[in-house]
Amino acid sequence: MFDIFAKATPAPRDYAACSGCSLCLLVCPVWRKTRDLRYTPHGRAKALQHGVAAADLKDSIDSCTLCGACVPACPENIDLVAMTLDLRRQLPPVRPLAIGTRGVKKIADYSRQSVLLAGAALREHDAARRAAMQLLGCAPVLDDGDDIALALEAGAQISAARQEEFLLPLRTAAQLIVADALLAQQLGRWLPQMQISNLGMALSRRADLRRQLRNDDLYVIEPRAYHADYEARVRYYDDLRHATGCAMNLDLQRIAIPATARSLSQRLGLKTPDDAEQTHWLLQGRKIARIVVEDAGDIAAFRQISTLPVVHLAELPND
Amino acid sequence: MNTPSSFTPSDCPVGPDSLTQITRRQTNPTRWHGAGWTDFAGALRAAGVDLLESLAACGAFATDAGGTAYGMPHGMVIAKSAQQISSLLKIAQRFGVPVTVRGGGLTTEGESVAFGGVLLDMTGMSRVQTIDAGALTVRTQTGIFWHSLAEELRREGLDYLSAPLNLTSTVGGSLNVGGIDVNSPRLGCSADQAIALQIVTPTGEIVECSETENAAQFQRAILGYGQFCVITEATLKIRRYTPVRMQYFYYSSLTTAVEDLQRLDRDDASDYSGILTIMDSAVNLLVAFDSDEREAAFNQRWKAQLRGHGELGFALRALPRYLLQPWKWPEALYLLRRKKQLFPEFRRPEYVRDGLMQDRTVVFSRAVWKYWGSRQMVIPDLATSAEKFVAAVTRGNAVCRKYFPHYTLYCVGIKLRDDHKPHYELSCIPPDAEGWAYGCEFEPMMDRVYSRDHLQSFKNEIYDIGLDIGASYYRFGGMMKGYIRRAFGDEMVDRHLAMKQQADPAMILNRNVVF
Repeated sequence: MFDIFAKATPAPRDYAACSGCSLCLLVCPVWRKTRDLRYTPHGRAKALQHGVAAADLKDSIDSCTLCGACVPACPENIDLVAMTLDLRRQLPPVRPLAIGTRGVKKIADYSRQSVLLAGAALREHDAARRAAMQLLGCAPVLDDGDDIALALEAGAQISAARQEEFLLPLRTAAQLIVADALLAQQLGRWLPQMQISNLGMALSRRADLRRQLRNDDLYVIEPRAYHADYEARVRYYDDLRHATGCAMNLDLQRIAIPATARSLSQRLGLKTPDDAEQTHWLLQGRKIARIVVEDAGDIAAFRQISTLPVVHLAELPND
Repeated sequence: MNTPSSFTPSDCPVGPDSLTQITRRQTNPTRWHGAGWTDFAGALRAAGVDLLESLAACGAFATDAGGTAYGMPHGMVIAKSAQQISSLLKIAQRFGVPVTVRGGGLTTEGESVAFGGVLLDMTGMSRVQTIDAGALTVRTQTGIFWHSLAEELRREGLDYLSAPLNLTSTVGGSLNVGGIDVNSPRLGCSADQAIALQIVTPTGEIVECSETENAAQFQRAILGYGQFCVITEATLKIRRYTPVRMQYFYYSSLTTAVEDLQRLDRDDASDYSGILTIMDSAVNLLVAFDSDEREAAFNQRWKAQLRGHGELGFALRALPRYLLQPWKWPEALYLLRRKKQLFPEFRRPEYVRDGLMQDRTVVFSRAVWKYWGSRQMVIPDLATSAEKFVAAVTRGNAVCRKYFPHYTLYCVGIKLRDDHKPHYELSCIPPDAEGWAYGCEFEPMMDRVYSRDHLQSFKNEIYDIGLDIGASYYRFGGMMKGYIRRAFGDEMVDRHLAMKQQADPAMILNRNVVF
């Protein structure tokens, strides 16, 4: 009777709770590309409700970008990313991933320092990676778990030996700053006592970088991390937007529009990415002079279709 | 027509003291059993139309937002173009295969559920074609969600005029049935915003129509409940975007709140108005404005005359009432709990900043889906002239009280256009309405499981009020179509049926929705 003052945080629900409201379509980049309900969380959940097996949803499961935009959109509080990852684990691998130990002889000791797990995309933009490390005072790291991040995305098995090899040195760190959101979430489960931050948030909190943001910038939030912690981040980024005046890749619901819409096959290099339509949509009608990205993986997509300068957040000229 | 006859409870379970002398039958359509389906499917594929028959494709369309009508199509087609739909309808006519058209699937009486045959998913045609910022018009495919249209328009600093407060309503769905917004008291329903249409007739002709070009087809298409065509493209009026300034007034009397709402509408005192309630215990009259000037004029001329109160004033007045009536304490606690849930949702800073609501549909729709939506949604309604509205609301409210512990009423006016009377015939707009029509939705909270019989009885009893006072309904099709002849009379229904038979000889398009 007096539960009116209780703070309710309902547990995430599974596909059976889908009422078919279609709200996930509005924010789904795959829907935007295909206009085909089968390639949406709604389509997958409804198919599962009708007893369809994961194998019959193979193309749909592969198509999901795991951007997570559907999660805050879902009024039934279904963890739709978890649903898709669970389906991926039920399927034979799209491409066999060798997630074996790397045979590291000497275990690194980070001695209570911050560690940046940059991932493959940021490593490709080495200047940005170095800038991020310098700004955040991070120690260099030999093993950033990029194979584990890919395995998580693909629903592939990770051996206990490889997991331990990856985690053992990280336990000596003071905090982990992680570029890949799926990896960050999994690290939160593996190392519950560890302080884990998302790279975009860690950088954007810095006053010196904030001062460099202009009202003719398009600031591109990394969507996976944003949607995984939507309730906290929507306020954070709204304040950042108002403080700096920059535009953001947010729709009218304040859900992040991904700059790319890559299927698992595209991420694994089995198919050529076709980001142009999504990236064009992000830029459509905007009067901007520069694009600032949190995710280094977005840089190439923008440069393919736009002559505007594209910079990683860590590379904003410093005061 | 079925003549009213004496009613016995064995016909259909209804409330014991609902109106007597009215035959009521739940009109679930008979499933079409698929005669000639294989030949039809072959012909369709030979014509290059992609027909999907898997459970994975069809299962998503087994029910609508109402969640009480279930049916499965034999196959489904994702709309791609007017030419493709033309091919589909021509072949469907030849083989007598029913085609059910679906937009956002927000019907509640199974109108967008295919009980066999083909389900045509219009959301496949959901692209904006041209935006003319000078002429303030947009040309769009009609499977687009209004919200997706808003996303595109907003990049240009533009907005649609009026659309349902639901993110997943489609343009095509609204043009077919009305579409009501809280600015409808000024701007009319969404269907009134269409300037020109591209339609595909049930026999497969692709026709461009407007008030001046193929006007008869334009009149039948708008508010036509999908009986006379598939609307594939629409040119709509749009406007410059403005955030809205909201004000809320709280009443403990429905009648007083409705009277104040109608007065504001008559006096053109606000740009938006509507009533949203928690039962009849907390009645919220919302008014909103597109500009500071309009709000200042309201504050100066009308605000003091409203009989509602601010949040605190309302609470102070309600407190002694509940203190003196301990048997109503559970209701008071429900109001508090509901307030705790809803009020923050309507004030989220990312949507409402400096007193300005950035996008009303986002705010209202998210709250509706989160705090009203469930696997089943039953929303009978009454649409009346201004004069009959207080009676409709108060009588409908008494029915809600009888059937459910918790419910919501949503009331809004619709400005009528004299030149659109031909559109309004056999629609949610009641024939006797002049100036404004008013609609009230009666939505029970599904905080427990109710039987279908209970829900159907509730709907019947609300609709019986409509028959008694002479009203129309927003949701008169599908499972409630048994009321159509009783509400509109044989002459009007037979005239429209004759038009339908002429336009759709095999009666394939949205069969069983109206006729």
